[in-house]
Amino acid sequence: MKKNNSIKICLAQTNPKVGDLKKNIENHIEIISGAKNKGANLVVFPELSLTGYFLKDSVYDLGININTDEAAILEPIYKAAKDLDISVIAGFVEKDADFNFYNSSCCISKGKLINVHRKVYLPTYGMFEELRYFKPGDGFGVFDMDGVKVSVLTCEDAWHLSSSYIAVNKGAHIIIVNSASPARGITAGLNKFNSMNMWEELLSVIAFYYKSYVLYVNRVGFEDGIGFSGGSCIFNPLGEMEKKLDYLEEGVVSADINLDLLNNERFKTPLIRDENLNLTLKEIEGIINKGTIK
Amino acid sequence: MKKELPKIDEYNFPLIYKHLANFIKIEVSKARVNSVVLGLSGGIDSAVACYLASNALGKENVAALIMPYESSSGAGMDDALKVVKTLGISHYVIDITKQINEYFTKERAIAAPDDIRVRKGNKMARERMSILYDYSYKLNSLVLGTSNKSELLLGYGTLYGDMASALNPIGDIYKTQIYNLAEHLDIPKSIITKAPSADLWEGQSDEGELGFTYETADGIMYLLIDKMYKPEVVVSLGYDENLVNKIYDKIKKSQYKRRMPLIAKVSERTINIDFRYLRDWA
Repeated sequence: MKKNNSIKICLAQTNPKVGDLKKNIENHIEIISGAKNKGANLVVFPELSLTGYFLKDSVYDLGININTDEAAILEPIYKAAKDLDISVIAGFVEKDADFNFYNSSCCISKGKLINVHRKVYLPTYGMFEELRYFKPGDGFGVFDMDGVKVSVLTCEDAWHLSSSYIAVNKGAHIIIVNSASPARGITAGLNKFNSMNMWEELLSVIAFYYKSYVLYVNRVGFEDGIGFSGGSCIFNPLGEMEKKLDYLEEGVVSADINLDLLNNERFKTPLIRDENLNLTLKEIEGIINKGTIK
Repeated sequence: MKKELPKIDEYNFPLIYKHLANFIKIEVSKARVNSVVLGLSGGIDSAVACYLASNALGKENVAALIMPYESSSGAGMDDALKVVKTLGISHYVIDITKQINEYFTKERAIAAPDDIRVRKGNKMARERMSILYDYSYKLNSLVLGTSNKSELLLGYGTLYGDMASALNPIGDIYKTQIYNLAEHLDIPKSIITKAPSADLWEGQSDEGELGFTYETADGIMYLLIDKMYKPEVVVSLGYDENLVNKIYDKIKKSQYKRRMPLIAKVSERTINIDFRYLRDWA
């Protein structure tokens, strides 16, 4: 339960074993138990944390329809969430009744499935090929978790600023970004990979201008020579980084999210209150009706 | 926007170093072995790869093969032994002169001397590869690659020879950056300062043979490949047109060396065409 209008969150920076659901579930359970011991209300895992990321044709073997018996394999997570009175966000390959596959993240709270986010923006350029395998999700939902309004954006989703715009205007107080971001690009004089730097700038902007907490949970490890960068972190509504895990190393960190700070920040800088959704709608309709977008 | 090849410096080195160590550690363990074997020439690339592997896996899990030919420079051997001694890793010296000369005894009579020189170079590179893979089995170790990004892009290597390996920690790092890395790794000075050479014949120099310096080529390749600028854009930034075109041509013409052999598609699901899994699949 929330204490003093704060919620304790655990970021789990894992190294999923590609294609090995069983082993990854065991690892999730272990981390969930450890997080509970530290008093966490919520544990967040990276994108596709139960399967690994560059799945290629094994997407076909790993898809789970969560409304059928196939979901039985996730039972240990449901049970841990129930027994430990905790919420868990984990990434998996979802299959729907029509055999479409999604890059999805489920939120299992106290033994119940309370939300599934299907990644909307599926990068298919450079080293990425998600659209080859996955169907895009159709929205950015906000859900209630222990009285806290949460939205999940998966990796590339967050690079489209419209997604966090939608999430906060729908009422999100905490934006959770789970990702599988490869480390790439170096610059002289910069003590991190360029990709890490881009993420931190982006997350800070989302947190500050959308007056929200932003939790970033990125994975580590290598898949066929591509290394994921870690550096999971929490930004507060002032755009400041409050906690951070090391780059390139597995790790777990817990932090109290003080929701009173949202109250304070949103009063002092009421950007969300003043947002003119009708104006945005009118402009977007104008763009679409011009015929440049069908 | 920066348009120069980024230097590996004291700021970015620690994370790059950690990243490459993780790569070696994780990918080696996925193959269910603990160790690597690599060919040590006395040059900077294999020295850097060797230092990275020793840091990642521990000195007891790295074995170096030193495989001289009769024309190989003595300095190369001394430098290779310096690496072995400094790191405290195990090593094997295997002279390949006999089998190379045996093969070319008959060939020499019927081929032009220039052809023979190139063919001997390739044969030596493949002989070393063959020994490395034999030791890979013998020592239950993966073969660690030592080709840098510059030579891979230029095709300046022997297919199934020095280009062959199980894992290559330095294949995305340009030669110029290999020098940066070497400085931060404290690699013996004599290795850093000597001219790059494949040492396939006496007095061979990479830059002499290629007709340009790695530093210039790397600057151009960084823009062509990493930045994806078209050759004419690279020229507009002040680089010599002939050189840009020459390098771009070399990259294109050697593409075959960087890919698996072509397979004629016959079935509905063909290896590497539409049968697609990570190597890490298992």
